[in-house]
Amino acid sequence: MANDQHHTAASRRGFLQLGLAGASTLSLGAVLAAGAPRAVAATPSPRLDVEVLNYALLLEELQASFYETALDRGRLRGELREFAEVVVEHEQAHVKLLRGALGGKARAIPRFGFGAAVTNQRRFAAAALRLEDLGVAAYNGQAANLTRNALIAAARIVSVDARHAAWIRAIQGRPPARQATDPASTRSEALAELRKTGFVKS
Amino acid sequence: MNGNLSLHDLDRDGAIRETEAGLPTETRRDLLKGAAAGGAALGLLTTASPAHAATRGDVAILNYALVLEYLQSAFYTEAERRKALRTATAKQTARVLGAVERAHVSALERALGSAAVKRPFFDFRGTTEDEDAFIKTAVAFEDLGAAAYKGQAYRIESRPILQAAIAIHSVEARHAAWIRYLAGTTPASSAFDEPKSMSEVNRLVASTRFIVRRPATRSRRRPRFTG
Repeated sequence: MANDQHHTAASRRGFLQLGLAGASTLSLGAVLAAGAPRAVAATPSPRLDVEVLNYALLLEELQASFYETALDRGRLRGELREFAEVVVEHEQAHVKLLRGALGGKARAIPRFGFGAAVTNQRRFAAAALRLEDLGVAAYNGQAANLTRNALIAAARIVSVDARHAAWIRAIQGRPPARQATDPASTRSEALAELRKTGFVKS
Repeated sequence: MNGNLSLHDLDRDGAIRETEAGLPTETRRDLLKGAAAGGAALGLLTTASPAHAATRGDVAILNYALVLEYLQSAFYTEAERRKALRTATAKQTARVLGAVERAHVSALERALGSAAVKRPFFDFRGTTEDEDAFIKTAVAFEDLGAAAYKGQAYRIESRPILQAAIAIHSVEARHAAWIRYLAGTTPASSAFDEPKSMSEVNRLVASTRFIVRRPATRSRRRPRFTG
């Protein structure tokens, strides 16, 4: 059952890539151009939801792929492995929810590459922390741009990413919650941060 | 109203400064750096919502949040004062979470001004006097806090209030994960966190009987000074 659903999502992705000849590939450049520093206040609309949810999809696909790859490589031990095993399923579920919500409007995703972050435990922990904190700030930055139903969905996801962020911080002996409120990133800030990771290849 | 309200401005009783003093340097730096950023989003509450400008619905939501924050902050503050926590991590958690929840309270009180509900009286029924009970209760409080903010986010009409509430919401989730980690239970038990409605939350809070009509005068421990 779960496999079938996976297969469906993968086929849809494949279909999109073939059918649209890569024109809709969600590259960082394209998202940056589309989401170029807009005024802080965008009026929520179904159309804007699609843009924002596609942006969320990119982040969730990246996280899911990161944990999948790290587990495949088999170098994680102890708490880090336990963390990755639990979290990968959450990220896959987030991807599925977003793809379900977007339907045919889900854009194809770029290729990812994680280098030593999926083979070296210390680097893995640092990258996981970075990706989870980045995700929380990205969702928080979009909350006010979403329509009611999209906001309800996003809120169910963001606190789980916040839990992941706190968890990986606790494992590393860092303070899991450093401040009274979490920061919110604009789309261009989050994408610039994402670009700095070097994980997005195309 | 000061848009760059920092956590230190909110730190009326100096708890955050004291908290920093007891932490290793890196952590302290993190907390300080975070305090400024945290203050920015909390500042949204005050810049945007002197209570006269907020809608009646938003005022009700802010007051609802304020009661939950009163509950949490009183709980951690009392646990810290009673000195019943044994381990260093539990002590540090009570200190840090207490400071953050007090900052949430101050920001909400300022945002609401004269529309703010009065601080209730609490009787934590021994849960601040025993480390295991403290941790269990803290897990319940933080999971509840996250679910409560999540249940209101889509009902908030003012954009800046929504931004502040959502930025508090994920911190409550971080706290929940943190305490769960300390408790040895999984910090993230499901792929999705579900919201709780105001009536569900109020019913749960009422069932704890932590909110009382009169100040609590009894303690399950002996007074430290018996005269």
